[in-house]
Amino acid sequence: MIRIVHIVNQFFAGIGGEDKADRVVGVIEGAAGAARGLQSQLGEQAQVVATVYFGDNYFHEHKDEAVAAILAELEKRQADAVVAGPAFNAGRYGLACVEICQTVSERLGLRCVTGMEAENPAVGLYRDYHNDKVFLFATTESTTGMIPALKSIAPFVCRLALGEEIGAADAEGYVPRGIRRLTRVDRPAVDRAIDMLLAKVAGEPFKTEVPMEVWDKVAPAPPLADVSGAKLAVICTGGVVPWGNPDGFKTYRNNFWRKYNFAELKTLESGKWEAVHGGYNVAFMNQNPHYGMPLDALRSLEAEGKIGRGKLYPAYYVIPGNQGSPAVMRRVGQEIGAELRKEGVDGVLLVAT
Amino acid sequence: MISAMYPVAEQVGASRIVKAVAIPHPCGDPSLPAELDAQLRREIVATALKALEAKVETSTVFAPKIAASA
Repeated sequence: MIRIVHIVNQFFAGIGGEDKADRVVGVIEGAAGAARGLQSQLGEQAQVVATVYFGDNYFHEHKDEAVAAILAELEKRQADAVVAGPAFNAGRYGLACVEICQTVSERLGLRCVTGMEAENPAVGLYRDYHNDKVFLFATTESTTGMIPALKSIAPFVCRLALGEEIGAADAEGYVPRGIRRLTRVDRPAVDRAIDMLLAKVAGEPFKTEVPMEVWDKVAPAPPLADVSGAKLAVICTGGVVPWGNPDGFKTYRNNFWRKYNFAELKTLESGKWEAVHGGYNVAFMNQNPHYGMPLDALRSLEAEGKIGRGKLYPAYYVIPGNQGSPAVMRRVGQEIGAELRKEGVDGVLLVAT
Repeated sequence: MISAMYPVAEQVGASRIVKAVAIPHPCGDPSLPAELDAQLRREIVATALKALEAKVETSTVFAPKIAASA
């Protein structure tokens, strides 16, 4: 019998939601939560011997401990292969799944499979790793796609466990990792290249054999000579907005930004501001908005002359960053950047969660 | 950029990254007395100001001097 360990976050293990995001790594015997769905797709061929879970925040804030605990559990359970997720559009969960698969394959030599929406930021990380032992399947944005996702993952993980050879991404259905492999073809390269060239000239479709990935690479801006003489602005992706959320930001997938004036304020008073964000527990920031928009610290540095008088731009920019699609965030960044340039701002502090 | 998920910021290529306390409260630590919490926040923002004056060629993480307790 093939032995599978299924790794999920606290929510998909059935432990709880955002209030349990600080949970340490834990283990449930056999299949629990989402792993039950996996077990039913695996049928008789394989067994989920344990469901390992972690709190979404705990994993990122104590990564070394979390990974060590997961590795120890996998060794103890003598897993043949590992499933992590699927994470759908959850950013923290997706990143954790990719990181876990990466480490498990490196340290234990096990092959791993995970799943998430193609727009999940962790997909970029998966591609960057180019790990031939880790496979990622694209899923729907929301959990409505759980069953179809597990239907692709279950037979696939059995093949991984049995050590079967896995073909190219487009044939097998996983997301390409940018790994090039040698294959034998009947026609020489020169003929294939000329066919492609002719198709291109004729405006017909053709498929390159060497796909190139295009990623944004932003060169670091030159340093400021003297911050105390520079005009500074603050951007907040934690979602701190005036109480009542007057512009109607959503807790996820926002596609616009706003700025809020603080020219007359020394602090952001509790009760007058709130955090709108579906990706972390906003209780702390609702109590003290400075955790996400540190106006008190900025004013204190201004009083000491570390920030020049009148040099702090009198409004901060905000968009709750949760589940922002890269395309939208790129546009928002360009819009805010253009405005900052127009306003003559020299340096920006971006407070992210 | 001030972020508790600084390894991720590094992986996606942010230029100047300041290590924050925790995802739900990057600038400060609610388990500290208010005064120390405010000092920690000030230190994090001051570190960000220093980062703006630093010449960097690639993703660089700056750690605030006061250790986060969380």
